[in-house]
Amino acid sequence: MTLTAKVTKHSGLRLFLMTVFGRAYPRMVGMLRERSWMLWEIILPILGVSAYVFIYRAIGAPEIYIGFVVMGGAMTAFWLNVLWSMSSQLYWEKEMGNLSLYIMAPNSMMGILLGMAVGGLFFAGQRALVITIVGSWIFGVSYEVVSYWQLFAVFMLTMVALYGLGMMTSSLFLLLSREAWHLANLAQEPIYLASGFYFPVKNLTFWVAAGASIIPLTMGMDAMRQLVFPDGSSLGFLSVDIEIAILVGLSVLFVVGAKLMLDYMERLAIREGRLTESKR
Amino acid sequence: MDAQITIPQSRQDNTFQRLVRTFRVSAWLGWQIEANWADPLVFAIYALIKPLASAAIIVVMYGIITQGDFGQPIFAYIFIGNAFYIYVGQVMSGVSWAVIDDREHYRMLKYVYIAPIHIPTYLLGRGVAKFVFASISVFVTLLAGVLFLQIPLDLLQVDWLLFIVSLAIGVNMLALMGLMLGSIVLLLVNHSFGMGEAVAGALYLFSGAIFPLEVLPEWIRWVGFIMPVTYWLELIRRALLPDIAAGFPTLASLSNGQLLGIMLGLTVFFAVAAFLTFNYCDREARERGYIDRTTNY
Amino acid sequence: MDLAVKTQDLSRIYKIRGGKKEEAKELVALDHVSVEIKRGELFGLLGPNGAGKTTLIKILTTLLSPTSGVATVGGIDVAKEPHNVRPIINMVSGGESSGYGLLTVRENLWMFAQFYGIPTKVANERIKELLGIVGLGDRDNTKSSDLSTGLRQKMNIVRGFLTDPEVLFLDEPTLGLDVGASRDVRHFVRGWVDENKGDKTLLLTTHYMVEADELCDRVAIINQGRVLACDTPSRLKRNLQRDAIFKLEVSPLNGAGTGSFEKLAGVRQVTHQAQDGQSILEFILEEEDVLGRVVNTMTNQDIHIFNLEKREATLEDVFVDLVGKSMKEVEGDSDS
Ligand SMILES: Nc1ncnc2c1ncn2[C@@H]1O[C@H](COP(=O)(O)OP(=O)(O)OP(=O)(O)O)[C@@H](O)[C@H]1O
Ligand SMILES: [Mg+2]
Repeated sequence: MTLTAKVTKHSGLRLFLMTVFGRAYPRMVGMLRERSWMLWEIILPILGVSAYVFIYRAIGAPEIYIGFVVMGGAMTAFWLNVLWSMSSQLYWEKEMGNLSLYIMAPNSMMGILLGMAVGGLFFAGQRALVITIVGSWIFGVSYEVVSYWQLFAVFMLTMVALYGLGMMTSSLFLLLSREAWHLANLAQEPIYLASGFYFPVKNLTFWVAAGASIIPLTMGMDAMRQLVFPDGSSLGFLSVDIEIAILVGLSVLFVVGAKLMLDYMERLAIREGRLTESKR
Repeated sequence: MDAQITIPQSRQDNTFQRLVRTFRVSAWLGWQIEANWADPLVFAIYALIKPLASAAIIVVMYGIITQGDFGQPIFAYIFIGNAFYIYVGQVMSGVSWAVIDDREHYRMLKYVYIAPIHIPTYLLGRGVAKFVFASISVFVTLLAGVLFLQIPLDLLQVDWLLFIVSLAIGVNMLALMGLMLGSIVLLLVNHSFGMGEAVAGALYLFSGAIFPLEVLPEWIRWVGFIMPVTYWLELIRRALLPDIAAGFPTLASLSNGQLLGIMLGLTVFFAVAAFLTFNYCDREARERGYIDRTTNY
Repeated sequence: MDLAVKTQDLSRIYKIRGGKKEEAKELVALDHVSVEIKRGELFGLLGPNGAGKTTLIKILTTLLSPTSGVATVGGIDVAKEPHNVRPIINMVSGGESSGYGLLTVRENLWMFAQFYGIPTKVANERIKELLGIVGLGDRDNTKSSDLSTGLRQKMNIVRGFLTDPEVLFLDEPTLGLDVGASRDVRHFVRGWVDENKGDKTLLLTTHYMVEADELCDRVAIINQGRVLACDTPSRLKRNLQRDAIFKLEVSPLNGAGTGSFEKLAGVRQVTHQAQDGQSILEFILEEEDVLGRVVNTMTNQDIHIFNLEKREATLEDVFVDLVGKSMKEVEGDSDS
C-alpha cells in the first residue's frame, strides 16, 4: 500500500493557472451535463429581451433603439454572471464547505475567482452571442462597425474591468451570508436602469450617467453602441476615446482593488471565524 | 410488551384540517424567510427599489422616444400592465423558489417531504409572503405613477368589485402557475438566479402587459390569447382605468363577464395541470432520488 | 524542522452575538493551550463535544486566527504567514462533503490536486492508487452526489492524502464510516505515518477512545478548551495502573446517586450509567482493599450486585480521572 507516485508540485504562476483551470472545469462540465441551462440561459432571456423591443415598436421608436435593446439584452448575460455566479457564489461555496478548503490550499483566491469567471464566461458568452445573433436576425438590426480594433479593445477592457469588479465584490461576500443575496438582488434592476441596458445612458443626465460609469458596462455599452450602429455616435454619452481611457482606469482600479480587498477580507474573516460558519 | 403508538387525537386531523395546517405553517415559514420586516434595507430592496427601478426603465424608454409625453393612453396602458405584472414574477417565483431554497440551501426539503403535510399546499403557502411584498410594490409603483407621471387613476371611478374579484382569481392562478414551475424545478438543477422571474420575464412578451398584442407578429400572437395573464391584466385595466382600457381593441369584443369566465376557466385548467404536473414530477424526482440532492457547481 | 506543530498559550474566544439587542457573550473555546507535536508523530486530540478540538484544527489550518498565543506549523507562524503554511498542510473533516455533486469522484479529486499545483498526470496516478486503497477503485466515475455518506467520506479522506502534505489534520475522520471502513482508515493512517519514517505528521481528533488508544503515538486530552494531559496512551494509563478499576452491574440506584460512594475514603472516581434496568457503576479506587467498603455500603443500601469485574485502565478512565465525569456525562451536561 505504499504510494508509488512521486508528488511534484508547481507553485507561482503555474499554480495560479492550474487553479483557474481547476475551478473553471466544474462550470464547463456542469454545462454539458445539465442541459437545462439552455432554457434558462438562452431561450427565456431571448423572449425577455424581445419584450423590450416590442415596447419600442409599440411607441414607434426609431430602429436604432431596437439595436440598443438587443445589445443591452446580450450584455445582461455578463452582469448576471458576475452577480450570481461569482459574487454570491462564494456564499454557496461556504455553505457547501468548499470555501475553507479553497482558503486552506496554497492557491490564491484570485485564481479560484478567475476560474469561476472563466467557467461562467462560457455560459455568459454563449448567452450573449446567441441573443445578439438571434435578436439581430429576428428584428433585422443593422450594423456598421466604425473600427474593429476599437470595438475589440472596448469589449476586452469592459470584461476585465467587469470581472475585476466581480472579484472585488466577491471578497465582501466572504463575510456575508444571506445578506449577499439581498445585495445581488439590489444590483440587478437598478443597474439595468442606471447603466442604460435598454436605452442610451446619455438620457439619464450627465451626473447620473457619470455616476453609473463606475459599473464598467455603462461605458462599455455606450462605446460599443457608438462603434457598431450607424449614427450611433449621435446618441453616445462621451467620445469613444475618453470612454476607452475610463475603462482602462476602471480595469486597473478593480483588479488591484480586488486583490487588496480579497486579502483584507480573508484576514478579517479568519479573525472573526466566519469562513466556516453556515447560517442555514 | 405490545405497546402501540397511539396518535393523540389532535394529530388525527382530517384532510381539510391538514391542508389548512400545512398552508398556515408554510405561509408562516415563507414569511419568516422572506419578509424580514425588522430590516428596513431588505424591505426597501424588495418592496421598493427593485420594482421602482424596473418601472423606471420603461418610463425612461418611453420618455426618450416621446419627449416625455406621459399623458398618452398608451403610457397608462404600459404603466398599469407593468405594475401589476410584478405579481406574476413574485408569486410565481415565491412558489417555485421554495423548492430550490429548501433543497439546496436549507437542505430541509427531505424533512418537509417526510412530514405529514400536503406538499403542493406547502409550496403554495410559501408564496404568500411574496404576495404581500408584491402588493406593497404594486401599490408604491401605482402611487408613483399617479403622483409623478399623470396616470389618470381616479379612485371614484374604479370598479372595486371587479378589481377585487379579478385580483383574487388572478393571484390564485399565478400561484398555480408557480406550482407548475416549482414541480418542474424538482427535476432541475439550481441555476441560482430567480427561475420564477426568468419565466415571468419571458412571458412578459406574450401577456399584453407592456404593449397591446397587436404589436406582436401575427404568427406568435396566439400565445398571448391562451395566457390567462392577458385576460387578467385586461380586467385590471378595465377596473382601474376604464377609459384607457376601452381605447385598446385587443379584447374589446369581450364583456367583463366573459373575461372573468375565460380567466376562471383557465385557472381551473391550470389547477388541474399544476396538480398533474406536480404528481408526475414528484414521482420522477423520487424515482431518480432528487429530493435531497444539491446541485450547485 | 523538528517540531511539526507547536502551540504556546493558544487561546481563542468566540464572541457570540445573541438575538436582537442582547449583549455579546464570550465563549472561551481554547484556553491557553500549549502542545508540541514532533515531526513524524501521529498525534491524537481526545475530548468530548465542544471541547475545542475543531477550533484548534481551524487555527492550525489557517482558517481561524487565535485570540492570543502563538501557533506554528512546520516552524511557520500560522497567523503571520498563512501562505507559507498552506502548501505543506491539508485537512479532512468528517461528516462534510467537499467538491461539487455534479463532478465524478475522480474529477473532484483532480480539481483539488490542481489547487495544490500537482500536475494532472501525477494526480491521476495518485488518485487511482488512493481510491484503490480505500476501496473506491471502481467508483471513480460515479458522480459524487450519488455516493453514500460513508463513500463520500472516503473520497474526502483521499483528498487529504492526495496532496502529500507534510502535516495532515484529520477532524474525526471516521465519522459516518462503518466498523470495517473505520478500521481500514485507521490502518491506512497508521501505515502512512510509519512508512514515511518520521517525515509526515498527522494530527487527528476523535472522541472514540479506542481510536486514540490504539492508533496514536501521543494523545492530548482536552476538555472545555484546556489540555488536561498529554502523553503516550500507555503512560497516560500507567498512572492509573496501580489503581484498581472495577465495573459493577447492580440493581437500579433509582436516583439515590453516587454521593454515598464518593464520600468513602479511597474512592477516587465513580461514574454511573443506567442500562437495561440496571445500574452500571465504575469505580476507580486507590487500592483493591477499598472495594470491601464499597460493597458494604451497597449492602447497607439494599443494592444487589449482579456482576463485578476488575479491568485494565483505558483512556476513558484517564478522562474520568482528570475531569471527574465520563465523556458521555460531559456531553450530556452541555446538551441541557
Ligand atoms: N464560529 C463559532 N462561533 C461561536 N462559537 C463557536 C464557533 N465555533 C465553535 N464555537 C464554540 O466553541 C466551542 C468549541 O467548539 P469546537 O467545534 O472546537 O468543539 P469540538 O471539540 O470540535 O467538538 P465536536 O466533538 O462536537 O466536534 C463550542 O462550545 C462551540 O459551540
Ligand atoms: Mg469538532
